[in-house]
Amino acid sequence: MPEATSAESDIALRTGGRARRPNSVGLRRLNILVGALSLPLFIGLWELVSRSGTVNMVLFPPPTVVAAAVLEWIRSGQFFSDLLASLFRVTTGFIVGGALGILLGILTGQFPVISSLLSPLFHILRPIPPIAFVPIVILWFGLSEAGKLFLVVWGVFFTVWLSTHIGVQKVDRGLIRAALMLGTPRRQMLQEIVLLGALPYIVVGLRTAVSISFYTLVAAELAGAFAGIVYRIEIAQQNLQTGQVMGGLAALGLISFIADRLFAALAERIVWWR
Amino acid sequence: MKLALASSPASDESARKQPAIQVSNLSIVFDTKGGQVIAVDRVSFDVAPGEFVCIAGPSGCGKSTVLNTIAGLEVPFEGEILVEGAPVYSPRPDVGMVFQQPHLFPWKSVRRNIAHGPRMLGKSTTEAYAIADDLIAMVGLKRFADAYPNTLSGGMQQRVAIARALANQPRVLLMDEPFGALDAQTRTVMQDNLLALRDRIKATIVFVTHDIDEAIVLADRVLIMSAGPGRILREVAVKLPRPRSSSVLVEPAYHSLKKDCLDVIRAEGLRAFNQSDAN
Repeated sequence: MPEATSAESDIALRTGGRARRPNSVGLRRLNILVGALSLPLFIGLWELVSRSGTVNMVLFPPPTVVAAAVLEWIRSGQFFSDLLASLFRVTTGFIVGGALGILLGILTGQFPVISSLLSPLFHILRPIPPIAFVPIVILWFGLSEAGKLFLVVWGVFFTVWLSTHIGVQKVDRGLIRAALMLGTPRRQMLQEIVLLGALPYIVVGLRTAVSISFYTLVAAELAGAFAGIVYRIEIAQQNLQTGQVMGGLAALGLISFIADRLFAALAERIVWWR
Repeated sequence: MKLALASSPASDESARKQPAIQVSNLSIVFDTKGGQVIAVDRVSFDVAPGEFVCIAGPSGCGKSTVLNTIAGLEVPFEGEILVEGAPVYSPRPDVGMVFQQPHLFPWKSVRRNIAHGPRMLGKSTTEAYAIADDLIAMVGLKRFADAYPNTLSGGMQQRVAIARALANQPRVLLMDEPFGALDAQTRTVMQDNLLALRDRIKATIVFVTHDIDEAIVLADRVLIMSAGPGRILREVAVKLPRPRSSSVLVEPAYHSLKKDCLDVIRAEGLRAFNQSDAN
């Protein structure tokens, strides 16, 4: 689970990370070329090793077999229903967990009484890995969608709550004093200063929560589902369709990557003054 | 002509009008781990309407604390503070403040930063922007009206902070070492800007600095404070002609003033040194 410090260092990394200077144009071109060759080289090597006979092709199928399995997955129409089921869980869980996290983070960050009431509880629950809740979630919710949402919401909530809480507390006191001197009423301080001051922290928390929502999705779908990317991986594993398993992993990685990049692009717009 | 201006409005009007600021027997005690520390010890002074007073002293002498108390940001305190005749308990829009750091709202453009105060006081956005644009012109930042604070230099940011504090047309402007974080060259330019600006606004100004030169260049009167506990050692009236600029630094009258101030500071420094030696 990410700690307070990881949210902070994330911010520091974002502001100071783009100062790489290539020695020369030639070296930069070489790097681009090597970068472009990276994936084809890796896939080619994989294909060769798989077909060389030194490994079991059923357990370690070559990329061509994986590709064929993925094509079949798409052609059967199951891919899109699996994708939709997984995306629905991740998105709904992320939105609900994120909204709850932001709301409670503002409350505990802003009002010491609420913080005294809730923070001890949250700090005890937060370190428990969400996967550990699978058994009790099955008891409570059976194999229903509610149980899966619960797991994703649970995972997202604590990360977003903590980063919001810290963000609200770390709002520059100088800005608040300046706002007070300019006649900002205390009851308007939240909307005028605190929310925007905490926004960079909230956004970092939300971005961490994007990957956490995929991570909890795995637990949620392994706990028993009727559709979903991870569900399909599990079914394929039971049928010894290793190509399909690998295709599922690749799909999961790709979706998670796209989600992270989309959120990063969105974050730049949310924190517009940076 | 210059001599006529030299008698500041303070000395004539203070007899008739009530002071803009009255500080009487102000004491402030801080609770620290090592026990109670008297930060400010029975400080009393008046500031006449329109007067420019500098509070000068070493770091830790409580000069910023005094200023924050006048601003209504420092409670509790002992003694009485009246601004325009009314006691101060909390920040009020007729008292403006410029801090050592600009503390600009990073998510607002220069115009919207300056318009913040008027908007909070119930002005429409159009009115607030009109006020902001006037002040932007006054501090010479027309090209940067739509820029965000992180794209401005330190001096420019502090000019925005001054404009923002002036947007509510405060009767009293408090300035807490506003040029302390700037390089020497920018600081001189900012002092000249402030002197020019001061001739256009009617505000009473209390300016805190640890720089005696800065105090003499700017002020009608310098209050010299000592540290531990913070007390006012001496008042020095600065009868240098106005309009003034940082070039007064080379005038003979300036040198005798600075000698007066330094003598007080040196005597106090020696006393404090001997005292700590005796302990």
